[in-house]
Amino acid sequence: MGRVVRGYEEGDEITPLEKQMTQEAINMFEGSAGNTGPSQFTDEHAARETLGTEGTVASGRMSLTFAVEMLRRHFGADVFNHTGVVDLRFLRPVRPGDTITFTGTVTGIAREANGNRVSVAIEAKNQKGDTTGVGQGSAVVPNAFLPPEDL
Amino acid sequence: MAEVDNRIELDWDALEVGETFERFEYLLTKEMIDTYRQGVMDPEASFPTIAHKVDVRQYNAKYTDAGSVNARCAFHCYNPPVAGKRLTVTAWIADKYLRRGKNYIVTEAVSVDEDGRLIDRVITHELKQPSEVGKKWGG
Repeated sequence: MGRVVRGYEEGDEITPLEKQMTQEAINMFEGSAGNTGPSQFTDEHAARETLGTEGTVASGRMSLTFAVEMLRRHFGADVFNHTGVVDLRFLRPVRPGDTITFTGTVTGIAREANGNRVSVAIEAKNQKGDTTGVGQGSAVVPNAFLPPEDL
Repeated sequence: MAEVDNRIELDWDALEVGETFERFEYLLTKEMIDTYRQGVMDPEASFPTIAHKVDVRQYNAKYTDAGSVNARCAFHCYNPPVAGKRLTVTAWIADKYLRRGKNYIVTEAVSVDEDGRLIDRVITHELKQPSEVGKKWGG
């Protein structure tokens, strides 16, 4: 993929990312790492015993993955996969059947030795409008990816 | 024959910040990556290591407790891992704290592949009273 040169400004909105949570997706996420035994993520009984919830929940790390995806799409894999950071707090459980929408807004741009660190405020909401997660992300956009006026 | 569980019951007060666990190694296969990408509905997802929860794996191998809930997680991307490479993980207790009467443990881990490429860093805050989820959010 070619190098995309673009500028960043505080207040820029990131293209939102929407995910439909299913038990099958949760099972695959857990299973990809060999976690195939019953857990609060994959088994209702285990969820009731451990968490006291009626049903299973998705690992917070799935939400983390989605925030990573949103920012990777925004910054490009060449940039984000080598300099990206996401720091997310999990405020409410995400359950099978939920639709989660991730949004982001650029909150700051700071010069670094090899480019500009672009910071993004991240929020995740479910289909009821409840916030399930909040946090920050960032990536260092190398000078070669910035327009001359931003250097 | 049932396996003997030699894990130590967690004593949160005695747990030492800085405790570093035995290194953990695993082979990242193409199948793992493909399954992860299906699960997260992203054919270009680059860090299947997120699902491996490597920062708490060695903690869970050493200690037993009432379970946990992920309260916060930070992930630093350095280089996407490559299928067929062995990854080595170093994990440690980065912090612990008490907030609103509840105990948290912060684990941190760094993964490096067999060629010495730095892959990622993950920092997780786990609430060690998982039943709080049901109390707060109900069924």
